[in-house]
Amino acid sequence: MATSSDTSDQNVKSRRPAESAFKQQRLPAWQPILTAGTVLPTFFVIGIAFIPVGIGLLYFSDEVKEHVIDYTHCMKEDAVNVTCATFIKETKMEEPCMCQINFNLTEDFKGDVYFYYGLSNYYQNHRRYVKSRDDSQLLGHLTLTPSSDCDPFAYADEDGKQKPIAPCGAIANSLFNDTLRVYSQDLNKMVEVPVLNTGIAWTSDKDIKFRNPAGDLKTAFANFTKPVNWRKPVWMLDPNNTENNGFQNEDLIVWMRTAALPTFRKLYRRVDHTQVGFSVGLAKGPYTLQVDYNYPVTDFDGTKTFIISTTSLLGGKNPFLGVAYVVVGTLCLLLGIVLLVIHVRCSKSTTEMINVNPRTPYS
Amino acid sequence: MAWPGGSPDSVELPLHQLGSEDTLDGLALPNTNVTGHTRINEDEATTSGITDGAADEQNRVIFINRPQPQKFVNNRISTAKYSLPSFVPLFLFEQFRRYSNCFFLLIALLQQIPDVSPTGRWTTLTPLVLILTVSAIKEIVEDYKRHRADEETNRRKVEVLSEGRWRSIRWEKLQVGDICKITNNQFFPADLVLLASSEPQSIAFIETSNLDGETNLKTRQAHPDTARLENISEMAEFRATLQCEPPNRHLYEFNGMLKEANAKTIPLGLEQMLQRGAMLRNTTWVLAAVVYTGHETKLMKNSTKAPLKRSSIDRQTNTHILMLFIILIVLSLISAAFNELWLLRRTNTDWYIALEEAQNANFGFNFLTFLILYNNLIPISLQVTAEIVRFFQAKFIAMDSEMYHAETDTPAMARTSNLNEELGMVRYVFSDKTGTLTCNIMDFHKCSIGEIIYNKPGPNERLEDTLLYHNLKEHPTAPDIAEFLTMLAVCHTVIPEVVDGKINYHAASPDERALVMGAAGFGWVFETRTPHSVTVMAQGKRLHYSVLHVLAFTSARKRMSVIARAPNGEIKLFCKGADSVIYPRLAGGAQTAQYAAATLEHLSHFAAEGLRTLVFATADIPEHVYKDWSNTYHKASIAIQDREQKIEEAALLIENNLRLLGATAIEDKLQDGVPETIASLLKANINVWVLTGDKQETAINIAHSARLIHTAMPLLLLNEDSLDGTRESLSRHCTELGENLRKQNEVALVIDGKTLKYAMGCDLKKDFIDLCVSCKVVVCCRVSPIQKAEVVDMVSRATGAVTLAIGDGANDVAMIQRASVGIGISGVEGLQAVCASDYSIAQFRFLLRLLLVHGAWNYSRISKLILYSFYKNICLYVIELWFAIYSAWSGQILFERWTIGFYNVIFTALPPFAIGLFDKICSPEIMIRHPVLYVPSQQGLLFNVRVFWVWAVNALLHSVLLFWLPMLLASHHVLWPNGKDGGYLVLGNLVYTYVVATVCLKAGLATHSWTWVTHVSIWGSIALWIIFIVVYSNLYPAILIGAVMRGMDRMVFTSLVFWFALLLIPAATLIPDLLITVVHNSAFKTMTEAVRESEIKKRDPAALLAHPRHSLTETARLLQNVRSVFGRRSTTRANMELELSHGFAFSQEEGASVSQADVIRAYDTSQPRGRC
Repeated sequence: MATSSDTSDQNVKSRRPAESAFKQQRLPAWQPILTAGTVLPTFFVIGIAFIPVGIGLLYFSDEVKEHVIDYTHCMKEDAVNVTCATFIKETKMEEPCMCQINFNLTEDFKGDVYFYYGLSNYYQNHRRYVKSRDDSQLLGHLTLTPSSDCDPFAYADEDGKQKPIAPCGAIANSLFNDTLRVYSQDLNKMVEVPVLNTGIAWTSDKDIKFRNPAGDLKTAFANFTKPVNWRKPVWMLDPNNTENNGFQNEDLIVWMRTAALPTFRKLYRRVDHTQVGFSVGLAKGPYTLQVDYNYPVTDFDGTKTFIISTTSLLGGKNPFLGVAYVVVGTLCLLLGIVLLVIHVRCSKSTTEMINVNPRTPYS
Repeated sequence: MAWPGGSPDSVELPLHQLGSEDTLDGLALPNTNVTGHTRINEDEATTSGITDGAADEQNRVIFINRPQPQKFVNNRISTAKYSLPSFVPLFLFEQFRRYSNCFFLLIALLQQIPDVSPTGRWTTLTPLVLILTVSAIKEIVEDYKRHRADEETNRRKVEVLSEGRWRSIRWEKLQVGDICKITNNQFFPADLVLLASSEPQSIAFIETSNLDGETNLKTRQAHPDTARLENISEMAEFRATLQCEPPNRHLYEFNGMLKEANAKTIPLGLEQMLQRGAMLRNTTWVLAAVVYTGHETKLMKNSTKAPLKRSSIDRQTNTHILMLFIILIVLSLISAAFNELWLLRRTNTDWYIALEEAQNANFGFNFLTFLILYNNLIPISLQVTAEIVRFFQAKFIAMDSEMYHAETDTPAMARTSNLNEELGMVRYVFSDKTGTLTCNIMDFHKCSIGEIIYNKPGPNERLEDTLLYHNLKEHPTAPDIAEFLTMLAVCHTVIPEVVDGKINYHAASPDERALVMGAAGFGWVFETRTPHSVTVMAQGKRLHYSVLHVLAFTSARKRMSVIARAPNGEIKLFCKGADSVIYPRLAGGAQTAQYAAATLEHLSHFAAEGLRTLVFATADIPEHVYKDWSNTYHKASIAIQDREQKIEEAALLIENNLRLLGATAIEDKLQDGVPETIASLLKANINVWVLTGDKQETAINIAHSARLIHTAMPLLLLNEDSLDGTRESLSRHCTELGENLRKQNEVALVIDGKTLKYAMGCDLKKDFIDLCVSCKVVVCCRVSPIQKAEVVDMVSRATGAVTLAIGDGANDVAMIQRASVGIGISGVEGLQAVCASDYSIAQFRFLLRLLLVHGAWNYSRISKLILYSFYKNICLYVIELWFAIYSAWSGQILFERWTIGFYNVIFTALPPFAIGLFDKICSPEIMIRHPVLYVPSQQGLLFNVRVFWVWAVNALLHSVLLFWLPMLLASHHVLWPNGKDGGYLVLGNLVYTYVVATVCLKAGLATHSWTWVTHVSIWGSIALWIIFIVVYSNLYPAILIGAVMRGMDRMVFTSLVFWFALLLIPAATLIPDLLITVVHNSAFKTMTEAVRESEIKKRDPAALLAHPRHSLTETARLLQNVRSVFGRRSTTRANMELELSHGFAFSQEEGASVSQADVIRAYDTSQPRGRC
């Protein structure tokens, strides 16, 4: 300490600090002055730029056609005054319930048309729900011990034996299982709107995140049981299309991507525009929604909706972005004017544009 | 000279006796203080602290020149903090003493409970480990330097007697009992006992500046019985037993005895002690035996660890963190309660979640879940960010070329980095005088001879052209001039040394040295000193004066005399001293004596310039008078009782009937730029106090010349001998101040150490403080080191203000350690003050830049950095709370778990550094030119509870906008033309992106000066996040993390909504901030902003600051309200003031181990020196 580096340093080189701009803290710098005079052009520019953009966005949003049908309480088809909701509750979901809703599209839905189902008051974003899945299992790595995250939907009894569930977890267990069909009532003839049940999930999910085990699905899943709420095992999800079966079933994949908010919609089907009569979209006119009603939501005051929608460049119908742009733009213009007033008044008050008064604080 | 080197005369006697008794008890050793030279003064109270129970310990027995039966500590020293094995435990202990680290460790542990953590098990531990690693690297880098310095010291070489010859070994190998040889200008490697030296009478000179800050040389003398050990064969034969006290920290105490076989016991005392850290001077060589080594040396025993100081901002930050912690707890409780309510309603209905079967789902566990969810409200990286920023800020201080002193090749140095911002808040500066304000160089300036003032010859002026030279030839006062100069050259105790044909003067008194050099400047060159004579070369003639007697200087006598026989055989008395003691002894009376009136006038004139004055008088002594007196004096000097008093009385007999010759004025040279620096400090609303161990008159001299006191300023002198007197005088002054008490007045308070002792007693303390804060300037003189510390402490406590102590010597160590910030002056004096300091600078004037530029900058930078760190954390993590409203209060996170963890470590880590290192409001030149710009930081306007809450609320508002705008935007989840829907993480990533962008841009909004680093940090952080998404979205399933992120890049970046909102949302969020800033800057402009603006616009801000309207601000009013209330000066101390007004000052080491009279008797500089 005290005795060190006293004499020995004498013949060492000078300890003069280097004169670099960095070390001397003299780096060239941009020093913006934020006063009314300097900033108000920015406000005007933002205002002038944002309003037209906002109007453009509103136009896009307006282009999107959307029809929403709430079928939560639809009436059971062959019964009087019984809603499917109460029916399935009473029968403990043992028996099927069908219902029909007629609706009218008041304008043509041009371009690609998509069918969504929507749920509300449904907490897919609940922490215990979100985590209740086994991504490793969904990759096709079937082990007899699914991740503990899946509890309590990891094992189930089948034929008196406890077997692991595939796909395990609360999310998969609660897979949306209503079947929704739309019929066009053209000329008193019911024509089912042709739909595709593929191309509705993210490609990355379909190609990478969800993989089936190798070989025949049925044998691969032989040691596993279906989720308790399911009617059919996972290898029966789409028996017609091996590409869309097992874990790679797109309905499952879409459902597995949990929603952010308790009111959400999920892509159900795409209208097949290659079919005759549907090549330009859905024409206006009367339609019927045919529902195989299985999914209970009334217990927690949820609703189920069926949504027919086209899209724009921005996706679904949502005027919010456009409105936000217009509002922010307008505010900026107004503030610009306010700043102009401040600028004029403050620069008038002192010739040097500096308004320091007796109460001016130091900082 | 600093305090211990000065003349602590009046306090010394009683204390000395006390001290001798102290050393006696408990020690069976012979007391060697027979000559009464042991230096015991109040200094000890700090340099040695409390006596450490030496009595209980065994005396140390050392066998010289033989292996020791007992094992002693080796001579290796280590000042490093860590060693290899101790690093990990010590480092972890240090780190986890911080509450925040403990908190994060706790969170990391809580995350291990299954089903509780919403963010997985490792997301807190990983950043924590990263941060600890960074801290560890910093600690290692710092400690490595210490290791290297230690190593360098330990490897120095010293010559040791081994098997009959000198062998050069490393310091660390030196052992107790070894005999070593030290040559001139070498440091002593351990505490040694002097056995023999090259000088006459075995005298050795040592410089102890490393130990006590004194630069004057101290004399040491070997005992005559060991002085014979001159050559190596005798030394090799030398066998003795040395017995001494156990190692202790008393620098000025040593007791021991040396017993040679078949010889009588030799007492050893301080005269033989050569302490480690001191340096051998003016002595060719010494032989010495090692007594204490390594950490047992007095130096190491005194090296107290600097107390851990924390800046005010640091302390405030801790309270804010505590506040946030409470908020965190409250939020968690509220959230858990809401969760409980939700569960109450929905457990049985929401069949899809299977809540009834969930584990760890009670209120307590939910609370922990939310605690983990919100834990990042407390910024995890703040400590380490601030630490690194401070580290580099300290580097900037050290690298500032404007604070580099070329003459001594000393840059500024920051020994701690914790206090950078404290430098911006200094309210009181306590300055030492010697070596801090002054250079500790005395310079002969002018003299008054026979009513005429002569200046010293200028650097380019030939002697022949000077007025003095002319007058010497033809003026009627010519004989007086000659006699005066002769006196300057004869009447002193200086020892000349001829080196390469040039004469060096060594003096115990810097004043005398200046006088002798002054005389030399006028052609009276003092050449040789023999034990009984001095030779002066004057105008080509060698004058030979026999020195008959030296009547030494004491503070009580205030004069010093030499009786000498002139070459013509006459006996002369030369007497120099204070006018107050010389004048009454003038032949013909003080008023009427020749030259008296005019000289007195000159003295006032000199004093007004801040010069130190001495009056010179002479007397011719008839032979028979001298003979009689000589006998009297001899009797007095051998008297057994009351010797000192008798000598003094004898001296009085002869110092009489003097004839006034003139007076000298010596400049105690101020360091460069001291008056300007002090003026600027005062303008920056900083109070400057001078605390010095030196005498009152000297202190006032310096205060005058440093422009701290000006002539019109009334002085309040407090010199009292009793408690009652002090009380009376304090209350009188307070009453006189009346309503101006506790306001700043244009008054200087001067108080001496003794009065200070009474004034700082319990009952007077309050009055004293009131009086002190009422005075613009306070000068404390003759204060001991511990009193300096007490004064600093008192002011810190009483006012709560940030104090700064600046000093250079060991006597300042206590005050440097006690003040909020301690500054050491490095370069010239010893290292002790520097080692105890927080920052060291080479010159006092650098203080201005250190405070006004670095201090103010660092303060605003650190404040912004801290506020910003809080802001960004609140901004992101409160969003989790908003999301909880929509996610059933389940504790679900909106973002991917690792992105949360890396928020502070990667995505928003850079902007704080850019702010903390490169932001500045005004250029250094402007800051220095306008000290008023220091006021905002000094008053803590940029970081306080109000500002904190402003930022917190700002963050809260931002988080509201940043959550709900994207949420409304993506409420239907369908953001692509292909109709697909995104999950919760799409919203999460949208929000996260906008948060990162907003937060980075907010940093830009808060930055006044955008360097390229700022640009890189802001745009780079945003870019980093974008890159991170791309990389992270493609990891799974190759690496089994981030399954939820898979494919996110394609989905997010292909959404036009995302890009449109990226433009809109950060803008919409920041527009209110911008607006407020703009309105503030336009309509309610602050002084700092105004100056900044005019600087950027290249206008002169001087006009702005001088504008009368501005000067009326509260602080400026305070500054200007300094008023003078004292119409008349206090009459009580008229006498004192008279002396003051004549500027007498003289310093000389008193009570040294060898008296000056003896020292000069020992020297014969006509003979070549050195015999080895």
